[in-house]
This record gives sequence, structure tokens and C-alpha cells, in this order.
Amino acid sequence: MKIALINGSPKPHRSASGCVLNYLTPLLEQEGHSYVNLSLSRPHVDPQTVHELSQCDAFIFVLPLYVDGLPSHLVSCLMQLEASLAVSGRGQVVYAVVQCGFYEGHHARWALKLLENWCSRTGLCWGYGLGFGGGAMLTAITKVPLGSGPTRSLARALKQIVASLGRGEGGENIFATVDIPRLIYKQAAEMGWRLSARSNGLKVRQLYLGR
Amino acid sequence: MRLIIHDLDQADFHRISAHSPGDQRVVSPGNGSIAHCLGCFGCWVKTPGACVIRDQYGDLGELLAQCKEVTIISRCCYGGFSPFVKNVLDRSISYVLPFFVIKDGVMRHKRRYAKSARLRVWFYGEISEQEMATALGLAQASAVNLWWDLVGVSFFRDAAELEGQML
Repeated sequence: MKIALINGSPKPHRSASGCVLNYLTPLLEQEGHSYVNLSLSRPHVDPQTVHELSQCDAFIFVLPLYVDGLPSHLVSCLMQLEASLAVSGRGQVVYAVVQCGFYEGHHARWALKLLENWCSRTGLCWGYGLGFGGGAMLTAITKVPLGSGPTRSLARALKQIVASLGRGEGGENIFATVDIPRLIYKQAAEMGWRLSARSNGLKVRQLYLGR
Repeated sequence: MRLIIHDLDQADFHRISAHSPGDQRVVSPGNGSIAHCLGCFGCWVKTPGACVIRDQYGDLGELLAQCKEVTIISRCCYGGFSPFVKNVLDRSISYVLPFFVIKDGVMRHKRRYAKSARLRVWFYGEISEQEMATALGLAQASAVNLWWDLVGVSFFRDAAELEGQML
């Protein structure tokens, strides 16, 4: 099968969504699938992307959670694709990974529902999605092989999606999180914010200021 | 103060807002084109409380902090907000802090401002039952994460049906 891997992050580099895609591609290759990497990082979809999508047998969206939903630029893209895929789509099966900075993956449940509803309007077949918590950690552990340490649950979920994709199966959305205790994740993330502030010449207390 | 965030054209909005009372601010496409959030978190770690994109929408977090009531009027897109309204929300995350708190057993962002606000949401457009269920859940989740009280979600067939509603 030919799979469209769609990165919905607005960040061109070093995005957690990109990290998920880097973990996903070897799994697709192991199963003999080919894939094309597509990026929806701006609120416009170019005709080449539409053409590429129409040539694929299934789509996998990977994107960050923004305020409980989809990033606004991606909503724009989906509206454009709704119109174009209604013509050139072939009822492809759609899977999605929505990763978030919160520890619990279920924060992504409404974003997954939005994608499911988009499939209904566009004539595509919704497979299912993964809501993954602790996504902010992924950019810091890019050297960790998938399936090791904090990525054990992510590995299980991605393998499940790839297996389902090969059989064209749907299912219920699944939720997972990075495999470290919540308290450790919280402390590590907050240390990251403090270090970022200092590297920007700010004192930590300035992060708390109301303007 | 009440803040109204909407994606209506000026004529449609004027028809529903002509008789609305009092102290209010409006954020709409009429304020100018809006750049989309880049996910840089600069509003948390570079210029805390303000977006690093300095267009007309760079101080939305601070504006929200001044409100007792927020009314969102949005075309319903797949059960969520329209691109403009969602962009306003995405550009508003400086309203909360990057730091976390566990509330009701779930991780949330800590609040930056002590004041809270009431949230009303009006969705309009052709909306399926599934989208309606999504919209209700999404509005509730957004309110919880922004420390607002959701006081109502209403659905309208089109912008014309909004006319006569009390803002």
C-alpha cells in the first residue's frame, strides 16, 4: 500500500509530530508499505499535495493538539481538502496520531473526533486515532529507539495502527502516554520552561507575570 | 467587560449587536488578517503573556484577562471552531502559564490571571448530530483548560438565524 504521512505541525523542524513520524516510517517499511511525506504547516494546500493524496491508499495524520482541538491552519487545510478530495478521493482509510504536551493522551479525544467528522464530510473512511500524552518529551529523546524506555507504549500503539492499516481495519480510538511517572514528566517539562526562559535572558519569576 | 470573538461578516454581526448593551470588545476578521500560531511558545518563554507575532492579535491573553464574559460566535467546522476563531484561541495561550497543575486528576496548565470568565458559544451552520456532540465536548474541554465557566452552547442553522438573539 502507498501511505500518505501528513505532518500537521506548523513547525518545519524539531517538532514532536516529526519525531512520531520518524518512529512510524520504519514500521511501515517493515510491512512492505511505501509512503510519501506531506506537510500541512500553513493554512493553504498546494495542488501537488492534493494530487499526492489522491494517489495514496491510506492517510496517517500526525499533529499537535492545540487548545483541545486542531491547529487553526490545519482546519483551513481540511476545509480545502474536503472540496478537492470530494472529487479526487477514493474513500481512503484515515488514521491519526494527535500528540499533546499534557501527560494524559485523552486530552486529544476531541481533536480525533474532529478528524473523524471531517472524514464523514469528505467521503473518506475513518480508521481510528491515537491520542498520545507527553509528546513534548519526544524531541528530547530522539536517540531512544522506539520500544525502549519511555517509548514502549508509543511503540505498541504505532504497531497497532500499522497492523490495522495493512488490513484496512477501523476501531476505537486508543490513548497512551510516555512511559515515565507523571510527576517526573511534570518536573522535567517545567525544568525545560525554566531553562528556555534563562536562555532568553529572563528570570524564572518573569514567566509568571501578567502583563 | 465582555469579549465577543466572532467570524461573521460585518453586516451579519451588526444585525445582532446593534442593541447589545454596554462595555464590550470585539475580535473579528475585521480587525485585520491574522497569522497562525507557530507553536514556538514564545508567549510563554520569550515575551511572557504576549505573542511574539506582533499583528493585531498579539495581546489576546491580556485582553481575555480583562473579561468577565467571553462570547464566541463561530461557524461550526467538523464540530469545532472555524479557522479564524480557532486561530484566536490558539494565539491566546499566554492566558495560562506553561507550568502544570493536576486538577480533578488530570494535568492542566496553571492560570496566569486570578480572574475567571463565563463562556458562551454560538455555533452556526449545517451541523450533523455527531458534530454537535463533538462541539459540546470541545467547548466544555476548552472552558476547563482555560479556567472558564461554560454557561451555554447554542446551535443555529445559519448566520441569519442569529438575528434577534440577545448577545
